[in-house]
Amino acid sequence: MATQKLYPRGTVKRIVKAHSNRSVSKNADILIFLDYMLFMQELMREASIRSRKSGEKNISANTVRKVTEKTLRKFQG
Amino acid sequence: MSTSTPNARGRRSPLGTATPSGDTTLTGLQRLPIHTRYPLTPSRLVTAVTPGTQRSASRYTPRARGAGAPATPYGLRARQQRAANTPGRDRRRSGRIQRETTFDILRNLGRALAPISQPIRSSPQDKPEPVEEPIDEFEQLDNEPEIERPRLSLPIQEPEEEGEEASPEIQPPRMSLAFAEEDMDITYRSVEYPRDASIRDRDRLSMMSRATGRISGDFDETRLESDDADETGIVGEDDEAEDTMISGGDFDRGGETEDLGRFHFDLNFPSPAAAPLEDPTGEDMNDMEEFELSTAEPPPAPSDDDDDDDVGGDFGFGLDFPPATSPSESPGIVGGGLRDEATPAQGKQKKISRHGIPIPNFPAGVVKKLATRFARSGAGSKAKINKATLAAIEQASSWYFEQASQDLAAYSRHAGRKTIDESDVTTLLRRQRHINNSTTVFSLAQKHLPKELQQDMRLAMPP
Repeated sequence: MATQKLYPRGTVKRIVKAHSNRSVSKNADILIFLDYMLFMQELMREASIRSRKSGEKNISANTVRKVTEKTLRKFQG
Repeated sequence: MSTSTPNARGRRSPLGTATPSGDTTLTGLQRLPIHTRYPLTPSRLVTAVTPGTQRSASRYTPRARGAGAPATPYGLRARQQRAANTPGRDRRRSGRIQRETTFDILRNLGRALAPISQPIRSSPQDKPEPVEEPIDEFEQLDNEPEIERPRLSLPIQEPEEEGEEASPEIQPPRMSLAFAEEDMDITYRSVEYPRDASIRDRDRLSMMSRATGRISGDFDETRLESDDADETGIVGEDDEAEDTMISGGDFDRGGETEDLGRFHFDLNFPSPAAAPLEDPTGEDMNDMEEFELSTAEPPPAPSDDDDDDDVGGDFGFGLDFPPATSPSESPGIVGGGLRDEATPAQGKQKKISRHGIPIPNFPAGVVKKLATRFARSGAGSKAKINKATLAAIEQASSWYFEQASQDLAAYSRHAGRKTIDESDVTTLLRRQRHINNSTTVFSLAQKHLPKELQQDMRLAMPP
């Protein structure tokens, strides 16, 4: 993890810039990505809990879709 | 110790049968040297506890040497040399087995004399009367004749007066919103919140509707394709109108279909107009409306064309019909037409944000890596993520980025900045309740981020 790049910093910056129409300061994208990681963690946690509840072995796309809204709502500032 | 005593008794019992009970002490004392010979007898335990062994418990003792014989000749020689260098050690231990302290003798004597003796316990003290007296009082109180039960209902005539008297005392419930409006310190957070939430809800709903609409189709498809799918397969409310129109075309032949066509176009106009009427609350919502309309509207225009063409092909006056319909259509569904032109532009691989800036795709590899990592930590074992799931996760993360960057933009706008700063993200994290008094940004970063990024972050925002 530490050896290879964790994420493309430029891409994250550009995505946020495109959505917000504002420039992103030099190192803010790290924090944004940190938040994204937290989001993914939460999303996968919810999805795995839900899939386990319904007795699936792996996480299915439908489960993720169902969980997405809830998790996004949790992450709105 | 306790194991040895019944054993001793068992051994003594045959002797006890032969000799009177007074001799038992003698037999017990005779037994003593035998005990010393057995390795499991209490004497060994006693010697193990003697101060000499306690002092050098960690050091090597002759017994330990016998237990762990040196495996190599070098080890053997080393031990011999050590023994030769310090002869006092072994010599001091030599009389170990024979030596018995007075304590041991006394203990053995005690065991022989009283094999079954209980340690002295303090007898239970009685807690007598001072407790009982109050009980008596209570009982007396209990035994007293019952007090009359209070009436639980209110008298009929008075309640109005009472209500009038009581009402000023009860404070009217205050909504949290009103409280927030009074306090200027909190306003910028909490007053904005519900409005934001309502907008966000609509936003999210539109997303969800899109998602649910798309479930049938592939996520990888561009929007243009999904729109096509809508045209061909699943058409919304407009379908009914078209059906009726087609059926009408089937039933009557001749020029009457033209009238029917006009009639139906009149019908069709309100349906696209009605969609924006449903949520026209905010002017800012224009983008949202576009978003929704792109799903709702496009079907009517092209499908109408198709139907008309079909009708024309069937009945032979196709030449007259299409030119008549197309001008009548164009004023009505201008918006839809424009959207249709806009969607193909969006559909080309890169999406375009509401500000008209193309959004680069977040690399799927990173998403997958994160997803597998967190899925594994959740599920315990290795969780496999197939393509459809990955697509759903990517969709979710693109929504997440949209939402987060809109929030960030709002924060920076509020702060009067033009750039999204670290402090904005910190605010976001705090509002998401990831940062609080106990966890800081740095602890979060330490948990999740590699060191280089942490360093960059630290440079950017000194604590």
